[in-house]
Amino acid sequence: MAKPDTGPKVLTGNLLRDGATVYYTGKDWSLYVTDAKVAATPEEAEELRKIGAAAYAANLVIDVNVVDVQSTPDHVPAHIREQIRATGPTVRRDLNKSMSPE
Amino acid sequence: MYIYDDFDQTVAKQRVAEFRDQVDRRLKGELTEEQFRPLRLMNGLYLQLHAYMLRVAVPYGTMSVAQVRKLADIARKYDRGYGHFTTRQNLQYNWIKLEQMPDLLADLASVQMHGNQTSGNCVRNVTADHFAGVIADEVEDPRIVSEVIRQWSTFHPEFSWLPRKFKIAVTGAAKDRAAVQWHDIGLQIVRNEAGEVGYIVFVGGGMGRIPVLATKVRAFLPKQELLSYLEAILRVYNRYGRRDNIHKARIKILVRDLGPEEFTRQVEAEWEQTRHTGINLPPEEETRIARYFTPPAYEAITEPVTAFEDAKKKNRGFAQWVSTNVHPHKAPGYAIVTISLKPIGGIPGDISADQMDAVADLAERYSAAEVRATHIQNLVLPNVKQADLLAVWQRLGEIGFADANAGLITDVIACPGLDYCSLANARSIPIAQRISERFADLDRQHDVGELQIKISGCINACGHHHAGHIGILGVDKAGQEFYQITLGGAGDETAATGQLLGPGFSSDQIVDAIEKVVGAYLDIRQPNEPFIATYRRVGPAPFKEKLYGTR
Amino acid sequence: MVPASRVLDRNGPIADGWQRLADDAPAPAGASVLVSFARLKNEHNALFATAGAVGVDIGGDVELEELEPLLPRLGLIVVRFATMRDGRPFSVGRLLRERYGFTRDLRAVGDFIPDQVLFLLRCGFNSFEVGPNFSAEALKHSVAAYTVWYQRGVERNATVAEMRLAKEKA
Ligand code: SF4
Repeated sequence: MAKPDTGPKVLTGNLLRDGATVYYTGKDWSLYVTDAKVAATPEEAEELRKIGAAAYAANLVIDVNVVDVQSTPDHVPAHIREQIRATGPTVRRDLNKSMSPE
Repeated sequence: MYIYDDFDQTVAKQRVAEFRDQVDRRLKGELTEEQFRPLRLMNGLYLQLHAYMLRVAVPYGTMSVAQVRKLADIARKYDRGYGHFTTRQNLQYNWIKLEQMPDLLADLASVQMHGNQTSGNCVRNVTADHFAGVIADEVEDPRIVSEVIRQWSTFHPEFSWLPRKFKIAVTGAAKDRAAVQWHDIGLQIVRNEAGEVGYIVFVGGGMGRIPVLATKVRAFLPKQELLSYLEAILRVYNRYGRRDNIHKARIKILVRDLGPEEFTRQVEAEWEQTRHTGINLPPEEETRIARYFTPPAYEAITEPVTAFEDAKKKNRGFAQWVSTNVHPHKAPGYAIVTISLKPIGGIPGDISADQMDAVADLAERYSAAEVRATHIQNLVLPNVKQADLLAVWQRLGEIGFADANAGLITDVIACPGLDYCSLANARSIPIAQRISERFADLDRQHDVGELQIKISGCINACGHHHAGHIGILGVDKAGQEFYQITLGGAGDETAATGQLLGPGFSSDQIVDAIEKVVGAYLDIRQPNEPFIATYRRVGPAPFKEKLYGTR
Repeated sequence: MVPASRVLDRNGPIADGWQRLADDAPAPAGASVLVSFARLKNEHNALFATAGAVGVDIGGDVELEELEPLLPRLGLIVVRFATMRDGRPFSVGRLLRERYGFTRDLRAVGDFIPDQVLFLLRCGFNSFEVGPNFSAEALKHSVAAYTVWYQRGVERNATVAEMRLAKEKA
């Protein structure tokens, strides 16, 4: 049996118009994962999922997902895939963005 | 090379207009993502981890100087100043904006290029031997029939919504540089006993989760009957290929499930019904297309070319480069140059806009204005005079592409992997970079000799790991990047599927593991025996023992 | 109110006199009725006797040999897309027209989108049963998207290769 999925989560997707990886802040979408609104409970995660589905239906973002983040103040994504998505290719650091706005 | 006439140009222009309309409707919300996705894929546009990625078709790997320069312009104007050559002779841009796609496609169309059918469940961009037309052992230039197939497969009314992607490759030589047995359809141009030109037809090869080498369904197909035969294959596949399970939808599974004999029987029966219904190309059209592939006028040059021979004697670096990156040309005094896009520690296949321009300049000056892309993620200058090789090598050195490693251990194939690709399990590029750095010493590389390492970041196998002498497959093990090693794969006329050696390795361990595999080979090889031959002679046991010990 | 479904041809909406019958619904005498392939197989004699015209609804998985003997008496064949990515109807349409000589109404139904209509026309379809969100405007664009083709379609167009030859001779 899968264990209950309770860790902190954020809502992410890519903007339809330009493809940029973005995070839901609670109001709008930011390029930076540290701006993201963190869902602390399964109920809050479900709420994020609904917001994501609505933003997808409104043709604002695509590839919408709720993903795990670490339980630290800067809530870095938990999985390496999402860490790379948050910053950019690890083989082109010159093209990376940081996880938070300057 | 082939040049569009008004008809081709009309089709290209209409395609841009069609996609402009589709993007517009998508942005207005008139098309949903589910509806739009297959349409954008058929124009080469994916969504990856960081942005949209555009795959530009380079039909059968041939590009003009003007096209290469336009690709450089586009990299600067719409992307971040670089592109990536893939294992399917295509070019990918990584940072594309959907809203700019129509203008980008219009720019591509201005040099007769496009992203058509580089993705989606349709007949994909056809690939061919990157030495086509310039090697001696060729029955016919495979680009002629490849262009015939390009036109026939472009926006085919019946076969644009197949169960799954469909890849066709062509070789004109017995020495197979196009990996035809790894394709959905592989064609080998041959001459029969009567001296007529035709094709050996292979069907049902493919990599991915279930690697399968193609079945030979026909030993000789007369040249003029090709298109009706292709339609018969595609029709059987379109009607009976599985659509309920994406992992079982490729034609290789249909061939397996029906059995090769029954599959062949169905294709032949279908073909009997259609071969006389006007599907085949009029011979005049084949002749017209063939004219575009008339070789350039080669100068009569007497070998040996003294300046070239002297330069090799005087300059060891140059001589080493010649030994790996220069291939004999059919015309005396000429050479085929492989430009390695694998500098030590670099990203395999990546090329900056400035480097593209420099390659275009070299091709214009030294190679009859033509450049080729290879499925090994390198470039080729097909028509260089031996007397010019030193100058070409020096200029390549200035742009960082003079590594003497074509075919050697640092000539690693790597897919974009988890650095870019949304389907990836693990990164490919950093592994390629670290292997390349570990074996950087050129004398050591030349001592190890011919060895193909191919890395895929997931089981989709875009990095052709199944066909690598050493294959590396990235997997996800409890959230960590892990790498499995396969040995003994091959993509040439001796095609074989690599066999899994044992448990995988972490990112920290994998390069050491590769070094051990190479060490085992060096211990047991016989004089002048390349890696793949040693593996075939001794099998996996000595390699397993070296890697995992005796247990 | 937008109707749940409507029928278009390449120029836009057309009248549709066909009545879709459930497998257990009696066939009204003299009407144009559309039935499932299963029902047609079981009841074709009765249906041909009572109904004014008979049409059949098939999927892309149809075995055309089974349908062949009934073809001369059918007024409509509806081929169903399981999803918009289901490419079998394209082959079925072409076979019905080119191999089996079916000349009457050939209609696509299901989740296909306007952008696919041009290829459907080229594979022999002449009418399209569509849902409320299907844009007739987009269909018009799609039909006009291309004017030259490399392959021959059911409409027996001149291919690009043939046009080249003709141009050369002129
Ligand atoms: S092999 Fe997998 S990771 Fe690599 S490019 Fe293909 S899909 Fe992406």
